[in-house]
Amino acid sequence: MLSVISYPVMIVSVIISLVLSISLFPQGWFEFRPEWVTLMVFYWTYRAPSQFGILTAFVLGILLDVLEATPLGVNGLAMAVVAFLVLTVHQRLRMFPLIQQSILVFLLVGINQMVVHFIKHLLGGQTPGFEYLWPAATSAVLWLLLCPVLDKLNLKLG
Amino acid sequence: MLSGRGGSTIKTIFVQGGVPGFRLLFVLVLSAVLIVADARFDRLEPARSAIASVLAPVLWLGNAPDRFSNWFAGVITPREDLLSENEALKARLMILERRALKYGALAAENNRLRDLMNASATLDDRVVVAEVVGVSPDPFSHEVVINKGARDGVEAGQAILDANGLMGQVLYTAAFTSRVLLISDSSHAVPVEVLRNGLRAILLGNGDISQLELVHVPDTADIREGDVLVSSGLGGRFPKGYPVAEVSSIAKEPGAPFVTIHATPMARLSRSKLVLVVFSEAGTVVPEELYDQQPPGSSNGEAAAGPGDNGGEG
Repeated sequence: MLSVISYPVMIVSVIISLVLSISLFPQGWFEFRPEWVTLMVFYWTYRAPSQFGILTAFVLGILLDVLEATPLGVNGLAMAVVAFLVLTVHQRLRMFPLIQQSILVFLLVGINQMVVHFIKHLLGGQTPGFEYLWPAATSAVLWLLLCPVLDKLNLKLG
Repeated sequence: MLSGRGGSTIKTIFVQGGVPGFRLLFVLVLSAVLIVADARFDRLEPARSAIASVLAPVLWLGNAPDRFSNWFAGVITPREDLLSENEALKARLMILERRALKYGALAAENNRLRDLMNASATLDDRVVVAEVVGVSPDPFSHEVVINKGARDGVEAGQAILDANGLMGQVLYTAAFTSRVLLISDSSHAVPVEVLRNGLRAILLGNGDISQLELVHVPDTADIREGDVLVSSGLGGRFPKGYPVAEVSSIAKEPGAPFVTIHATPMARLSRSKLVLVVFSEAGTVVPEELYDQQPPGSSNGEAAAGPGDNGGEG
């Protein structure tokens, strides 16, 4: 369905996702902030599996680690897991309608968050409850908007 | 990669390089090594600050919307408002200047008295004004990013103040920015004393931005609601005497060995935009125009600066 991708779109969207992940967000809504970088890893691994894979996802995760001041490698590992899971399902993913894709986004971003929180727990962070899964839900909703927009940009510029 | 090259004659739809399982294993092992090296042995600080320096434009862009709205607010503010604000600020400046004059005399007197008591003269702390340019995207960690870094002489461990009290300490530095751990983070503790009677205790953050916890205070200790807690300077990390928090509630439970005491931080942790980086060690290099050293008297200031410079070279 989409055989062309545009490298400028890829680079710019990834940089924007990094900026958004530290940019201002209403104080009370902080825990609902979507996982922008994970979404980008999902999208680009899904659309361009030969150009964007586990290693790229890992590098992006390391950058996010520096931005979030988590121990280096925590987000890197979680991003790599997401990229791997997308690589295993991306051929089926293309057949799915958008809603079904967004459910998968929820699952994978949730796995990403769980891995991050699991490692933080091992390292001694104390974060009670399951609120850390909210970003997975908001990311899934955002996917419905983000995927068509990026597809359109790819078709136009690629 | 191999299949990609094979597909140059016939364009395949699903090109994919390498074996993903093997790569994942490689990345997992690499991440585990990195995490252990970083979290347990602190070996990756240079790498982290190098990456953070590369990411400086991202941090700058992340803060751009706020700067733009500030600029926009500045542009559309009516002239009368600016004028009246200017007047108010001038009046405030005069009051503060008068207070500073009085303070200078007091500080000089204090130093003389300390000399009499054979104690070492306490230097006036030098401070650098910095601006908060970002907050941690993780809602469970209380950290902010300020726009002064290793280039400005900031080092990990320095205390950060705002206009009202102690805010936190520097966690990491990059070339142009530093990351500050706030006193309300659940991994943070400050040694404090009660201003009224000098009772010492440890003030812990508990992940709540508006509440801190004073721990291990015995049932019989003399502490009341409204007591001001100032940093005690024990432990050598925070300078002595800066206000940290005010006791807001004391709950005595019969049978428990310690009282549960909550305190409200003095510093406006989630709202302050301008902060002060404290250089309490003498001899740290600071650009001349940036720091604000208040000499108690000109001769006294000279005397205070002398030993500090020698200490830096030695």
